[in-house]
Amino acid sequence: MGRKLELALGVLNGVVGDHLARTGNGLATEMTLVREGRPLPVTRAALSAAYPNATSRVVVLIHGSSNTESVWEFPDGQDYGSMLAGEFAFTPLYLRYNSGLAIADNGAMLTTLLDGLVEHYPVPITEILLLGYSMGGLVIRSACHVARLENRPWLQKVKHTIYVGTPHLGAPLERVGRVVAKVLRWVDDPYTRLAADLANLRSDGVKDLGNADLRHEDRERRAQGVALTDPRHPVPLLEDIQHHFIAGTLSPDPLLAALFGDALVPVPSATNGQVHGKKSMTKPPLRVRILPGSHVVLAHDAQVYSQIQTWCREMA
Amino acid sequence: MTDFKRLRGLKALVQDVVEHGSTAVQRVHLETAARPFVILELIPGIAAPAHTVRQVHDLYVSGVYGTIRAVNRVVGKTLDVALDVAEGTRRVNTP
Repeated sequence: MGRKLELALGVLNGVVGDHLARTGNGLATEMTLVREGRPLPVTRAALSAAYPNATSRVVVLIHGSSNTESVWEFPDGQDYGSMLAGEFAFTPLYLRYNSGLAIADNGAMLTTLLDGLVEHYPVPITEILLLGYSMGGLVIRSACHVARLENRPWLQKVKHTIYVGTPHLGAPLERVGRVVAKVLRWVDDPYTRLAADLANLRSDGVKDLGNADLRHEDRERRAQGVALTDPRHPVPLLEDIQHHFIAGTLSPDPLLAALFGDALVPVPSATNGQVHGKKSMTKPPLRVRILPGSHVVLAHDAQVYSQIQTWCREMA
Repeated sequence: MTDFKRLRGLKALVQDVVEHGSTAVQRVHLETAARPFVILELIPGIAAPAHTVRQVHDLYVSGVYGTIRAVNRVVGKTLDVALDVAEGTRRVNTP
């Protein structure tokens, strides 16, 4: 029951989490680390008790929109974090957050949380591996952007990031939703305006997915007009971090992969524009992997882990 | 006391849905009803009575939706009190 409730709250937060947070609603999820389904305060005492055998390498797993940390779980209860712990001595830390908030807000909160983690973790941290699924990858990028601007010390410990099904160049489905809502609003009819209002109930977080808006100011350009694509992305990937991309595709056909990808994120978006044609599909660039599968499956998939494993061996 | 925090949150969310939902439906209701009234108010001879009927109609509609929102708030306050009592009781009974 508790697990199902947390899952339901994860979905609710993804859909209207910004409203819940604005109104101080008790259903709003607060960003926290989670250990065995329970919030784990970022204090030395709590971290020491939760991780008596804490290692100096940590992997932070960040779920996607309308999820909780349970999205990572395989049917046997394992997940990428626990497997990385067993094989590469990473201590897995699972983040839970309100995915209805703007990505910029979650990025800023993650920055603060990682500050606390580095300060209170039981042993000195030598490496932080950030692993983000879907929106979680954008939260990572936003946090890194803030950390770079504010010279946060934890950023120096991040050598690698892994993005799984992350819409780096935005999610077309959300952009279509945005266009539909705008078109409905143009129609001078009370019922269509009501439909437009309902369509606009999407949370800030979901709206940010459309163009992968990592900063609050990115939203201003969104208001300028109706567009199904937006090639501009003002926040580049940080150069001194090695970024690894995993994209899913329902079809091996390059055109279908470019249009639909894993059903939610097209392959060019999941690879930050590095794969956009037949040639790059068949021979993707370094640190990019395209795997068959739908978006939902990518968070707990043996092939995805196998690729993560390969990269972790290379990192070592 | 997370359970009570969440129960309060659920109550507030349902209240928000009723509040905003009834306001949105009221707007659609008034705008839809305004269309025939606008036409009737252009016809000489019945413009004045049509205007009066429209005002009565709008007043009645606003009253109905306003009552829904008022009841929603009263129910919300009552549930707040009930939750406070239940939480207090649990606190006393919890060793």
